[in-house]
Amino acid sequence: MPIVEINNKKVHILELNKEASETIVMIHGMFTNSSLFYFNIAPELAKKYHVLLYDLRSHGLSEKIDQGFDLKSLSSDLIHLLNFYNLSQVDLVGYSFGGLITLYSAIHYPERIKKIAIIESPITDKDGDTEKVIEKYGNEFLEHYMQNYSVSTKIVPNKRQLEKNKKLFDYLMHESSMPDDLIKDRYFSSKENMNSVNQESLLLYGMQSDCLPDGKILKNYIPNVTFFEGEGDHNIPIQNPEWIKKKLADFFNV
Amino acid sequence: MDSLNIQQQEEQVFEKLKQFITEVLGEDIADELDITPESIFTKDLEMDSIEIVALAEKVKQEYGDRMDFNEWLSGMDMEQLINLSIGDIVNLIVNAHS
Repeated sequence: MPIVEINNKKVHILELNKEASETIVMIHGMFTNSSLFYFNIAPELAKKYHVLLYDLRSHGLSEKIDQGFDLKSLSSDLIHLLNFYNLSQVDLVGYSFGGLITLYSAIHYPERIKKIAIIESPITDKDGDTEKVIEKYGNEFLEHYMQNYSVSTKIVPNKRQLEKNKKLFDYLMHESSMPDDLIKDRYFSSKENMNSVNQESLLLYGMQSDCLPDGKILKNYIPNVTFFEGEGDHNIPIQNPEWIKKKLADFFNV
Repeated sequence: MDSLNIQQQEEQVFEKLKQFITEVLGEDIADELDITPESIFTKDLEMDSIEIVALAEKVKQEYGDRMDFNEWLSGMDMEQLINLSIGDIVNLIVNAHS
């Protein structure tokens, strides 16, 4: 359980195939953690690459911090992580909110990021009312999310898991700067920003996902992009890891 | 470990895994659990995915020189992972050492 001090915070890191010369960093989404990739998808990429997984601030086993959930801060965490491991250039894989961090890093640190793969990332402010969306992020949203997650992944969380998830959700939505930070980034997915992604990019979306329309918008905005739809919804890395593995392996020439 | 019979090896590995589980969950939680070789991580021990990752990293550190634990895990589908028991890992480790 390696915990390292990066950017003045304790960060939980996982590494596979440390001996490989090239590195892929995988970034999970909001309210989840590095386990999303650890069991199934990361080992596939580790056949060729050094794979680095980390838990975002306040997620998984990383330190609980009540601020800095804007894309600039989260991208800065990533760059500090690369500096800590002396990695001059890496490929990125980002899921959902992690995909937004991936895109932000690709735009602002082009010399550090080679290729990027985005799985199921939403676009920011798609309905033009970010504040209203965040207002809905109450316990009702969490219950709905967990119910949908259970149905679509067939993973039924036990009582202790539910309590842990609820605690994290309450902390992030009611005791941290996350809601304000999300509003700060509301214009990030603009056509102008996405047009400035110069890296070769891969977009993977679930056919039944609410985020699929967002993926299609990104497909039209990002210049050098390949787009695929697979069987599944927003939880496609858990529902259909074989498809995700294959698409990532093809993209990164594993 | 080679000189021990299979049953002794299994008991030794089980005790080590029990120690790891206690380290991951904390003594307060682990003390209230009935940890046996049949215990399923998700159902009986109520471990979540990041706790299982932390356990897996400890197993790798202790026994990783003789087996590729990540490769073994990656061969499982979600249902197999959800139903993984302590005994499954004990068997893997003992077989890798024999």
